[in-house]
Amino acid sequence: MMSKLQKTMGALSAVRGIHSAAVEAHEDTVTASFGKFISEVKPQHLSSLVLHRSKRMVLDSIGVGLIGSTTEVFELVLQHCQHMYAPHDISSVYGRRGTRLSPTLAAFVNGVATHSMDFDDTWHPATHPSGVVLPAVLALSDMMPSNNKPSGLDFLLAFNVGIEIQGRLMRFSNEAHNIPKRFHPPSVVGTMGSAAACARLLSLDHSQCSHALAIAASLSGAPMANAATQSKPLHIGNASRLGLEAALLASRGLEASSLVLDAVAGVAGINAFFEDYVPQPLESPNDGHTFLLEEQDMGFKRFPAHLGMHWVADAAASVHKLLVGVGPGTVSPAHVQEIQLRVPKSKYINRPFPESEHEARHSFQFNACSALLDGEVTVQSFTPAAMNRPELLALLSHVHLEHPHDNPANFNHMYGEVQVTLVGGDVLKGRCDTFYGHWRNPLSDESLRKKFRSNAGVVLPSEKVERLIEVVEELDRLGNCTPLLSQLQ
Amino acid sequence: MLRKRITESFGAAIHALNTAQLTDGVINRSKRMILDTLGVGLLGTRTAVFNKALMYSQMFTSEERSTVWGKSDIILPPHFAAFVNGIAVHSMDFDDTWHPATHPSGAVLPALLALAETLPSQPSGLDLLLAFNVGIEVQGRLMRFSREAYNIPERFHPPSVVGVMGSAAASAKLLGLSPAQCSHALAIAASSAGAPLANAATQTKPLHIGNAARRGLEAAQLAQIGLEGNPAILDMDSGFGVYYKDYTPSAMADSACSGFRWTLENQNVAVKRIPAHLGMHWVVDAALAARAKLENTVGYFDLSQIRHITLRVPPSKYVNCPFPATEHQARHSFQFNACSALLDNKVTVASYSEAQINRPALKELLSKVKMETPKDNQPSFDTMYCEAEIETDEGQSYAARCDTFYGHWRKPLSDKDLVGKFRVNASSVLSTEGVEGVIDVVGNIERVSDCSILGSYLRMTSSSHAQLYSTRVL
Repeated sequence: MMSKLQKTMGALSAVRGIHSAAVEAHEDTVTASFGKFISEVKPQHLSSLVLHRSKRMVLDSIGVGLIGSTTEVFELVLQHCQHMYAPHDISSVYGRRGTRLSPTLAAFVNGVATHSMDFDDTWHPATHPSGVVLPAVLALSDMMPSNNKPSGLDFLLAFNVGIEIQGRLMRFSNEAHNIPKRFHPPSVVGTMGSAAACARLLSLDHSQCSHALAIAASLSGAPMANAATQSKPLHIGNASRLGLEAALLASRGLEASSLVLDAVAGVAGINAFFEDYVPQPLESPNDGHTFLLEEQDMGFKRFPAHLGMHWVADAAASVHKLLVGVGPGTVSPAHVQEIQLRVPKSKYINRPFPESEHEARHSFQFNACSALLDGEVTVQSFTPAAMNRPELLALLSHVHLEHPHDNPANFNHMYGEVQVTLVGGDVLKGRCDTFYGHWRNPLSDESLRKKFRSNAGVVLPSEKVERLIEVVEELDRLGNCTPLLSQLQ
Repeated sequence: MLRKRITESFGAAIHALNTAQLTDGVINRSKRMILDTLGVGLLGTRTAVFNKALMYSQMFTSEERSTVWGKSDIILPPHFAAFVNGIAVHSMDFDDTWHPATHPSGAVLPALLALAETLPSQPSGLDLLLAFNVGIEVQGRLMRFSREAYNIPERFHPPSVVGVMGSAAASAKLLGLSPAQCSHALAIAASSAGAPLANAATQTKPLHIGNAARRGLEAAQLAQIGLEGNPAILDMDSGFGVYYKDYTPSAMADSACSGFRWTLENQNVAVKRIPAHLGMHWVVDAALAARAKLENTVGYFDLSQIRHITLRVPPSKYVNCPFPATEHQARHSFQFNACSALLDNKVTVASYSEAQINRPALKELLSKVKMETPKDNQPSFDTMYCEAEIETDEGQSYAARCDTFYGHWRKPLSDKDLVGKFRVNASSVLSTEGVEGVIDVVGNIERVSDCSILGSYLRMTSSSHAQLYSTRVL
């Protein structure tokens, strides 16, 4: 089916006559440079560091997607897809043996699973890059005929293109470097990244790659207000699905703006979603181009909550250690007079009394108190039982937030400080500048695998779990990515 | 405590508005909108963009089936029927336009018709009409939350912002969702809003309407099975407010109280006479009038007489295109539409074909055009004007100005002309029985007990046409 597509495309571009005049005129635009890059980049352009880092991302993303398949929101969207559409035996659904959907729907539900617990990777500038790309690339690979599956290296190349495009777009804006306030970044750059990755995997020509990005732009953008609600995971699911759709539409010849990434006064392109926007062309992969992942590593979460929570959790955990001493013990709220958190100012993660798991994952207060009580925050910390503990609620009522001037709302520069004043007058302090898992202090390969085993093991038998670890590790050496595709459920 | 008064008021209103509140004025206006939308949609099923979207959509199957307008033997899952039919409606930029600016009907009607076909018990025509008006009303209310919305857009294409919300509201109404579910439908839809203006004047623009219809329907269905979003989505700047530079939302009045008035009652829509951006209608009327002046004075009209053409228009980058290369650009070009009018003494559906765009005589005329943007000509569909001035070789000047074109809300198309436009559009695809059937059903929709009959007329194609035009693909 894919080869037929490409032949048709070749014939069509010859016929495209009048349209090519419009395209040629814009050869030196930023948009055209992105299209060229996506169509020209090859596996040999991936350095070993980029391969290593991206394989870690693939593994982590699959793991969080698998545990995410146990959530309520995932069940809801899966049912929706199965009711609205007939069974379509093409693309695998994470963790559900025998369940397949048509490619864009599989990308959708798997993307939702990935972000359902806010457990997926985070980059700088801020976005969740893997969850928007991997589900689409997997779904598309499932769609390709069995005698023409991508090699592991093609798969990784497409994945890295999707990541790269997201990173490049975010660097066009200063505002993008800070914790977002208006548009949820995955809904903006994520859709573009998914479109780029799928365009790469479909081997579209440079003009089609540009159009895929432009079509995707019209499918981007969701407001921050839906973060910390049950709908947030759909931002990732939709980015993945719609990016794939954009690439498929482009492969059928749909055209859109050839200036979507350029900043044309009075006619907004992707810059509609940014406050400030200064685009740069992307250099050819042969011209000394370096993947951003080479320079800027990924942050992986140790527990399923917004990245900001990891600082206060680590700071609070060190205070917990001081409180209980060397042996195991419990922290008693009765001893606590006051808890001060020094954190950056960010409205959507300032929630004194979260009422749902979604809100709890976006609450400085909740995560600090959980870590104070338990010494750590885990997957279990967000269950209704854990959330409703009287001791926890008691601690929450003692919390005050402060926003020091030197603590910017920026994942590269922020810190978290927890100060507990005990009834007796003692003051205990903990501070975290860089939590374990942050790009400055990355999870070891061993820690990453441990997280994966813990997540994947909830839905898959241990043989499959171990096989997945092996397959991802050797992905760049696989002639055919089928071994990966077949282990996900 | 979360401020969610405004969102709650919308949810409550969507739930509570009932057929008794539909006034004669609103019924009359909305039926005209429905007929016009069906006509432009049927004509639009001949376009390349529709066919690409149709091919893509046929990848999906479902047990529930919905009609693809103008196709006797193709059915699609409801979401994709809404998608392709919405694309058809906007494919030639021939659909209705409102003030503040958006294309309200194309985002709502395709979703409602697709949804109606899947319901276990068929809604009546009045139910459909009510849901349609709810979808229009919500759009009108949302646009009034921002001063920015009153001008020709620069950042987001309005149908992609308010259209998906209207579709969600209309679908929620037809599904009979609770007030809370209606609010959540809006919240879920908000995460699908917002497409940048750069894709206007391209082949992708129609997808903004198609996607608004589809994603709004999806939002309502997700809300129905319990998905929740932010219950204060309309109240928050970081909610729906993200799409506007200034945002001052207000609650929807209790629909039960006597003060409730439909926005459509106060503000009618414009129905287009030519398949092009609304601004083009002013410049065409001005150019035609200037041409007539010249012809009446001199006794004949000859292109070689023309030395310069000056167009005085409001400032709007995306409809300022001196040498359009595609039909999409041509529909968004003051210069092209003025010159077509001068050259042919009319502008019609046929004016935007590749052959017509490439005529040497037209291109020569285009090179003589100069644009001016007078300070008093604001980029608002409510206040703008266009002036066309022809300067001849002999140094004579013939100028004409259009303040309000025929079809604008200040000078609406007569019912006769509206139905006439529908007939011309629909008969390109449907048999006479289908054409007259749709006119009859929509004309009497408030008395129709089962609106599925509309779908059957929309599938009554004229087979000779199907053969004649089947090669006009891609």
